[in-house]
Amino acid sequence: MIAEIQNAGANTYVLLQLANRRFALTSGIVSELAPPVRLHTFPHTSPLVSGVIVRRGHIVPVYDVASILLGRSSSVHRFYLIARRDFPDGPESSAIPVSGECELTTAEMQEVSDDSRPYISGRLLIDGESIEVLNFDALVAKDVPPDKGPRRTEAQS
Amino acid sequence: MRIAAQERAKSRLARHSEQMILFAVANRMFAIAAAAVQEIRSTDSLAGSANEIEHSEISKVRHMLERSHQTYYVVNAGAHFGLPVTRPTLVLILRQLRVAVLVDRIERMAEIVAIHSLPRAFVGDERCWYRGLTYVDDHVIPVIQPAGFLTADEFRRLDLVTNATSVPRGLAGAFQA
Repeated sequence: MIAEIQNAGANTYVLLQLANRRFALTSGIVSELAPPVRLHTFPHTSPLVSGVIVRRGHIVPVYDVASILLGRSSSVHRFYLIARRDFPDGPESSAIPVSGECELTTAEMQEVSDDSRPYISGRLLIDGESIEVLNFDALVAKDVPPDKGPRRTEAQS
Repeated sequence: MRIAAQERAKSRLARHSEQMILFAVANRMFAIAAAAVQEIRSTDSLAGSANEIEHSEISKVRHMLERSHQTYYVVNAGAHFGLPVTRPTLVLILRQLRVAVLVDRIERMAEIVAIHSLPRAFVGDERCWYRGLTYVDDHVIPVIQPAGFLTADEFRRLDLVTNATSVPRGLAGAFQA
């Protein structure tokens, strides 16, 4: 999948599965689909961050985006989608737990004017299914409240 | 692959060998530089020299110790990190800070060669609590920032309650955590 993503052009998206729903990320920020490695957790107070994984020698934070997108934490996931989050001082690899295989697709994104959620960039229409395209930076931004409010995450390892 | 290459160039990894004490609180493991710890005592051995702080506004500090004419505030590490209540058996008396830390047990010593920066995804109190993360025996362990146990404001509030204002020579700056 890495080679496919690197060769992907504009209008190319990675479709990811969270529970029974699919969302899309622009392929330009996705680097790979990682296997289900161990999640390391420790005390912290950052909302959305469920822990870290070690990938290719790097410590990569894991974002529980399901708590925003589905309204609940996703306890079942099989892979981590590694995506880039842009900070003012540079990018950082980030991991999103996903429920199943991801798919690379090319489609025209349709703008959404009736959606107040800042983390939805648009929609893709694929085989009759409307798939929301996520703005990853907006989705994991500090000021986007999870549906159930900030939580204190404790270590499990 | 592209992201990894960019991150390597930023050199966000501190590489130098450092002796660490690995300790546990509520079955979570932490690392603290051995150089930051002056003494490790059992809680039983300090029972006679610890005084309860009445009306402490800071729930993680219930006791203080008098040692070498200094007042050390005893921080319950479990309460500090928001972990379940345990029965600590050891006290880490820190060096250059008027802080002693209640922990459950010492796991072992370890030589750490790399401390990774805390990912920028972490934006909460942990940025004060930890110097970074390290990888020991397939575990990612936070490396404690000793000055993160009590803020300057917490020291001030505790000093007001206890009237403990003595400052060891040459260490005044260490209290501005």
